[in-house]
Amino acid sequence: MRVTLAKSAACLLLCGWFAAVALPLGWVFLNSLRSSQEFVANPFGLPWFLTGSPPDGRLSLEELDAAGARHDAPEIDLPRQLRTQFDLLDADGNGFITEEEARAAGLGEAQWGRSLRLADRPGSRRAAWKEVKANYAKAWVESRFSSFFTNSIIVTGTSLAGILAVGAMASYVLARFTFAGSRALFLFFISGMMIPAQLVLVPLFFQFTWMSQAGTRLLQPFGLELQMHDSLSGLIVIYIALSLPFTILVLTGFFKTLPGELREAGIMDGCGEYRVFWHIMLPLARPGIITAAIFNFIGLWNEYLFALVFVNAADKKTLPLGLASVSMQSQYKTDFGLLFAALVITIAPTLLVYMLLQRRLTRGITVGALKG
Amino acid sequence: MNRDYGRSIFIAVFLAPALVLFTAFVALPGVRALLYSLQRWDGLTEARWVGLDNFARLFREGDLFLIALGHNLFLLAVAGSLILVLALAFAAMLHRRIRGAGLFRVAFFFPNVIAAVAVALLWILLYSATDFGVINAALGAFQRMCHSFGWDWPRVPLPFPFLDSRYLLYSLIPMMVWSAVGFYMVLFLAAMEGIPEEYYEAAKIDGATPLQQFRHITLPLIREVFTVGVVFLVITSLKFFDPIWVMENQRPTRDSHVLTTLLYQKVFTEYNVGYGSAVAVMLFLLVFCATLISLKLSRAERVEY
Repeated sequence: MRVTLAKSAACLLLCGWFAAVALPLGWVFLNSLRSSQEFVANPFGLPWFLTGSPPDGRLSLEELDAAGARHDAPEIDLPRQLRTQFDLLDADGNGFITEEEARAAGLGEAQWGRSLRLADRPGSRRAAWKEVKANYAKAWVESRFSSFFTNSIIVTGTSLAGILAVGAMASYVLARFTFAGSRALFLFFISGMMIPAQLVLVPLFFQFTWMSQAGTRLLQPFGLELQMHDSLSGLIVIYIALSLPFTILVLTGFFKTLPGELREAGIMDGCGEYRVFWHIMLPLARPGIITAAIFNFIGLWNEYLFALVFVNAADKKTLPLGLASVSMQSQYKTDFGLLFAALVITIAPTLLVYMLLQRRLTRGITVGALKG
Repeated sequence: MNRDYGRSIFIAVFLAPALVLFTAFVALPGVRALLYSLQRWDGLTEARWVGLDNFARLFREGDLFLIALGHNLFLLAVAGSLILVLALAFAAMLHRRIRGAGLFRVAFFFPNVIAAVAVALLWILLYSATDFGVINAALGAFQRMCHSFGWDWPRVPLPFPFLDSRYLLYSLIPMMVWSAVGFYMVLFLAAMEGIPEEYYEAAKIDGATPLQQFRHITLPLIREVFTVGVVFLVITSLKFFDPIWVMENQRPTRDSHVLTTLLYQKVFTEYNVGYGSAVAVMLFLLVFCATLISLKLSRAERVEY
């Protein structure tokens, strides 16, 4: 009896926490599909295309059905070529094709008829879909989330490739070769784990200034200039350098577990050291590399402080930076539809990666705790 | 001889990129931060050596540094203990094979992979003091319910300004717990799954209750991972930055500053590089000590069964 009581209490607690995690995220997603006015009117409402009752006195889906629109919805009886042309026909982009628009496109009454007019009444599913997309379209184009997103992809992708390449090479040598100072070198890298990124933030800021000046002076004869501030490559270099200690710690641990005979066998068969690394060791180290990649990906995709310090130009901002600036600019403060859509755009990629790789991620969690 | 030569070249080629990058962008800047902290510098004009003067300023009566550090420690103590207790409880529950354990694990961990900036924005919307603030709406409904029973409670006038500087630190706690619990839960769960099942079976035969099993088997055996978790918690709360920066619109006040926001403000808005670097050096020393202590502890208390 007592055991079942404890068990149901545990269940209750777990379900409660599950709701606390899932509900706010679901709330964000649903509200990204509603206009700001709808949100302000009722923050807990569902998108009207789900409930079927549109705001501001439009016809509901039932009323439309009653008016016979159900049978005439363009999804059903529009000719295929017309359906793909819907956006072309919809000249003013409001989601409804008016009679004038249809006529302007050279369509006769016979071709589009009464059905299309009804189907395009405000409140139709197609009109709803246009509204659903409106927040995302606004965030993506007007608020430049397309650019933030691209920058995030470039920065995270390049940094990740750099970290893994540079880190794997160094880790392999540190793990499998002993030479004068090899132990000291390993400790040198690992000591970086104890350095909070905040310590090097300020010196790097000034270092970038004089590096740009010196680099530009050097490159002047070639008509080039070096810009470290406000450039994605500057950010990438920092990200790679700061991620090395963690990556090297993880990967040396991994390379050490691989049998040493493999290398000797490879050398015997006439492989050079380089080929042994590339064709034998690297493929075997894949699980370790993936673990390092996941934790670095999450850290870099979400990184804010360094991006804030080193990037000012709007066209170089990464997603966290863009999201923060949108949420702090007063002009957007009441554009809730936009804020929710921006949140979804920022969260979705991590959600995707997490869903795909969560097994590896939670299995390698002890490694993740090292990434302080 | 020739092969040895080739081997040295191989080692050099493979180590060089990491060594150059790490030295130029981490190790040397780290040393320069120490030097900056001994200078008075506005970032433009000639720097002046002032010895330990910056550090003396940090510990002066009423200086922002101690206040900010106090805020970090407050967050660590309150949010940290809540996180550890909840994470241990959840891990223990999932460890005893409750139905749907996999789903709970996946869901609880998820907030941890969301960008801190996004988490902050989400909670700004939840905490909003306007009509559509979800938490204020819920509190309002609760209050109305209490009133309908004739209770004059809770007395706080609503909407409550959760995001006001004065209350921000308290408001941050639910957010921090919300986003971090899953991580520590999965960490502890991984350690618990490494405990051999026989121990529990033996304990059951001896008549130990689940609570006793947890106290005498689970806890001692995950002690090492628990220590790792505590240190990680200490380090992350010392480095805490993004949510405060976003929630305070880049202008934290005396009530809401933490170490990193203070560092940022001193260097990049007040151009006081020496002071800011001294804050950074203190942060480094704290992180360093936390790591060392944890290494000591986890070695001294390793439990063998």
